[in-house]
Amino acid sequence: MVKPLQGPNWVLLSLILLGVVAWLWLPVISLAPNRIVPGTPYTAFAVSEGGLFLALTSMLTMLMLGVAWLAWRATRKETWLALGTVVVLLALLPLWLAAAAAELAEPDLPQARITLGAAFWLLWFVLLLALIELRTRLGLSRPMGWLLLLPMMACWGLALWLWLEPLALLREYQARSEQFADALIIHLALVGAAVAASLILAIVGVLAMRRCSGLQRPGFAVLNFLQTIPSLALFGLLLAPLAWLGSQVAWLGALGVSGIGWAPAFLALLGYSLLPMVRNLHVALGAVDPAVIEAARGMGMSRRQVLLQARLPLALPVVVEGLRITTIQAIGLTAVAALIGAGGLGTFIFQGLGQAAMDMVLLGALPIIVLALVTDALFGTLSEWLRPGGEL
Amino acid sequence: MKQPGRLSLNTWLVPLGWLGLLLVLAATMPYLESLFRVIEPDMREVIYRRAGFFTLLAQHVMVVAIASLLAVILGVGAAIAVTRPAGRDFLPLVSQLASIGQTFPPVAVLALAVPALGFGTLPIIVALLLYGLLPIVRNTLAAIDDIDPGLRESALGMGMTAGQVLRQVELPLAAPVILAGIRTSVTINIATAALGATIGASNLGDPIIAGIVNSNTAYIVQGALLIGLLALTVDSAFERLASAPST
Repeated sequence: MVKPLQGPNWVLLSLILLGVVAWLWLPVISLAPNRIVPGTPYTAFAVSEGGLFLALTSMLTMLMLGVAWLAWRATRKETWLALGTVVVLLALLPLWLAAAAAELAEPDLPQARITLGAAFWLLWFVLLLALIELRTRLGLSRPMGWLLLLPMMACWGLALWLWLEPLALLREYQARSEQFADALIIHLALVGAAVAASLILAIVGVLAMRRCSGLQRPGFAVLNFLQTIPSLALFGLLLAPLAWLGSQVAWLGALGVSGIGWAPAFLALLGYSLLPMVRNLHVALGAVDPAVIEAARGMGMSRRQVLLQARLPLALPVVVEGLRITTIQAIGLTAVAALIGAGGLGTFIFQGLGQAAMDMVLLGALPIIVLALVTDALFGTLSEWLRPGGEL
Repeated sequence: MKQPGRLSLNTWLVPLGWLGLLLVLAATMPYLESLFRVIEPDMREVIYRRAGFFTLLAQHVMVVAIASLLAVILGVGAAIAVTRPAGRDFLPLVSQLASIGQTFPPVAVLALAVPALGFGTLPIIVALLLYGLLPIVRNTLAAIDDIDPGLRESALGMGMTAGQVLRQVELPLAAPVILAGIRTSVTINIATAALGATIGASNLGDPIIAGIVNSNTAYIVQGALLIGLLALTVDSAFERLASAPST
């Protein structure tokens, strides 16, 4: 359903003008001599008087105004051109940042840190939104949208690797790269274990529910009840009984079961993961058209064969959707589990909040968001692909 | 047949029961010292006393109420605006933004609010508001989109104005789904607000955080019980509203 493209694209126009205003008048970056002192903010044109740098900054501004002009015309050709320009702008942003970092660098301040200012985040956000808008407008597929992000990621990789050493976030990472790797692994392990365990339990539970429908109402009631309890409270409530169990039952204590740490985190994650998993499995198995089952029976399939060869393939996309919801939810909840000593990326968030070190907060929060987005994209693509007759 | 009035009173009993339990527990918590002594026999202090439980409860409810109220107004408003002919251009972007935004974990949004807005109650309200918008916008869009276009046509054909169609046809039909969105939003907000205690807001998350810091399980249990009861009260009230016949 590609609509004829004509007349001003008001969405793109307002987005890009918002970006231009931020770029020209809000602080794009700030420079701090060390970790503690607050930085001095700079707007884009105030960073340096250097001719080359000014040329680069002007070029970015011109490109943005170019997008605004293309948005005003907005025929099909111009929309494609605007898409190209936005991709270029997204790729130029990290390079501009690298240039700015080089301009601001002072030999006598080796510990100086560059923080991204409000305008940088806003411009980035606005450009990504513009990309989504143009992608939808041109009717491009999801994987195509991801491909469009490649130039941006490549440039970020290049800039971070070669030139962006003074970036505060990178300094924060380099100071604790091993801790970061550990936290990431623990985070993924907790999420993976909780999702896998909940999948197995959910399969058992749903099969039991299908056998004896009396279980259905109480089962869902309990799971709904669990889902309602706020995560911090559930982690807290598990703390006391688990601490008691860990101290009373020797082999559990030896396994590391105690009030704090992985045990309450895992149990709480499992509890939260069960509802979306069971609900989707239940819907998936129940939603298959009875006529299909009849036909399968009619072909002489056994109960088992019907389940494995007719029900499951048809139900799979819905199950994958359940996995998607569950995994994304678990990624976020694991961050909270850091509060009870389970480790994971949330550790950086809460430590950073405690020390008022905002770059450390970002070091925890940004990877969590990226993990969630990547999970969403992967499972989204998978479920589209699994849909009968579906393709990428 | 049972009288409808009687039946509805009965179902209100569930949220009222949770509410009663919540208030009674908040009031009697300071007198339950001997009970909490069992959990933490060696601690000098087993009852959280930095602030009264009612104060904490009131602050928690207030933050969630302000954020949710604003989220309902802005979210339903935005969804209505982009489904009108004048705002149609923005519909694809807003609906994609609402679904992508929901993949962001609430705790990450809360954490990002601090560098942007600083510590305290305001950043929490803003973070809750922004995050709470998403389910409301998404559900309102889905609900309005789901309405049979023929219905809209015939309402217009009957001589209704666009405003009347919105108020008398679209909104009543969309109400249950919008309500479900608000319920999701409020449930998340209650949980996320508790985390606000880590960024300097004082609410029911406070005893839990203090308990974790001082490894005093009694504090944790006190905070956790009250937050759990608050969540159950609100959720069962929504449950009741959702099952109520439309007025």
